[in-house]
Amino acid sequence: MIEFSHVSASYDNETPILDDVSFSIGDGEFVAFVGENGAGKSTTMRLANGLLKPTAGRVLIDGVPTAELRTSELARRVGFLFQNPDRQICCNTVRDELLFGFAAQNRETEAAREQVDAMAARFGLDPDAEPYLLNRGARQLLALASVIVLAPSVLLLDEPTTGLDFRECAKVMDVIADMHARGATVIMVCHDMEVVGDYAQRVIAMARGGVVDDGPTFRVLRDQETLRRAHLAPPQIVDVSLRLSRCESAGLAGSPVARANTLDDMTAAVIALATAKES
Amino acid sequence: MTGFLEFVPGTSMLHRMNPAAKLGCALLISVACFCTSNLVLLLAILALDFALAASCSLTRQALGLARAVTVFSAVLAIIALLTTPTGAVIASLPWGYIGTGSLTAAVLVIVRLVACAVPLFLVMYVTQLVDLANSLVKILHVPYKYAFTLISAVHFIPVFLNDMSGIMEAQMARGVEFDGGLARKVRLMIPLCVPLLVSSVRKTNSAAIAAEIRGFHLRTRTSGFKDYPFHAADVAAIAACVALLALAVGSNFVG
Repeated sequence: MIEFSHVSASYDNETPILDDVSFSIGDGEFVAFVGENGAGKSTTMRLANGLLKPTAGRVLIDGVPTAELRTSELARRVGFLFQNPDRQICCNTVRDELLFGFAAQNRETEAAREQVDAMAARFGLDPDAEPYLLNRGARQLLALASVIVLAPSVLLLDEPTTGLDFRECAKVMDVIADMHARGATVIMVCHDMEVVGDYAQRVIAMARGGVVDDGPTFRVLRDQETLRRAHLAPPQIVDVSLRLSRCESAGLAGSPVARANTLDDMTAAVIALATAKES
Repeated sequence: MTGFLEFVPGTSMLHRMNPAAKLGCALLISVACFCTSNLVLLLAILALDFALAASCSLTRQALGLARAVTVFSAVLAIIALLTTPTGAVIASLPWGYIGTGSLTAAVLVIVRLVACAVPLFLVMYVTQLVDLANSLVKILHVPYKYAFTLISAVHFIPVFLNDMSGIMEAQMARGVEFDGGLARKVRLMIPLCVPLLVSSVRKTNSAAIAAEIRGFHLRTRTSGFKDYPFHAADVAAIAACVALLALAVGSNFVG
């Protein structure tokens, strides 16, 4: 359980980045933070793993305030993937990179080495490859692999799909979804609303250092006021359904087609509509 | 809030001075610090440094810098303390002794380095780097590629500091503990130099390509739009600094 209670934060004690933010995230949830750049999403993530301490309020991880814990202690429970993988990678081979976290946490064992080799194989990475010679997508995959190989119970992901092509993005998100299915709490900052719509169960929309909306993914992503305040564009399918619901002349307002949140919903609704017209 | 060596906007006399004159004055003051061993004069120069910093509301930055230089120069001060056996004996050493003169030498090292560093760094805080480069090119006829190299080196210092901080955070998030003694900290930080080096090379390479594709090599001394004329205040400041240098040299022959 991660709990933010009236949290304010600043990097220089002068300019507030977060102002009186409160929410809680239960074990096993998959939450996406969305909002424009500068809304305070990454700051929220840094507060959640103790890299930044709140200037007011409290951040609690399993009931313990992060202000009382060192980040290195929190690392056993909370895995953090940074936006830029090059800040994380510091070893000469993929295997050493994957083992780095185990060594830092004094958990390097033969079993850990086996896990590392299995993880490299799962991500299609050559364990003996030089990390800095990998392409951007592969480096991002390596950074993610080096976080999840430690099997943290909470996974914080700061824009995990930035700079990835479609195939790499799908690969990364499938691994994250698998971690979630195994019980991990996943908290992700993401600008790609398609990814948010496909994977997140809950969305917290942020703007100007505060929470604008917090709720089930499609409830938030269909809320026109939330979209406006957080400067968000909804996933394409939601956008199409919102346009249809506003188009009185099409006679679809209120119909399943105009309420569709996913491609599957839309397909089913269109088929049902076509079938009804034929009959 | 501005970072290390980042320009702080203002309208003070130092802000308004010609960039080349500012740099010249700072260099003259720094040379003066090395031309004298008179502690009183060095303290006076240090006081002048802080007065200049205060005149452009940069006292906080100057104090921070002085603190950092003091820590850095402490090593040199200790060496001076142990290797300058002069004055009345305070403590005996196997190879000599620590005397009152040793203490003076140690203090001298610290005061000299701080007094020398503050004006040089102050120039960066009160001058836009682009103005500094352009004035070097236009007034001192320094080839642009060297002026650009100088300002790029200064420009990248806060960038690299920020990168290093981000890299350390990334490793802390993976369980590395940077707490503990200096030796442990250094041991932990050495591997982090790899990502810093990689990001530095990538950044400088990108910057070089970006500059080249925008016609960097076409730039000449007359390319810049802005002119940097010398005013009476600039000439007076340089004259005062030359006088200070003469005083510093002269102080060695007095008493």
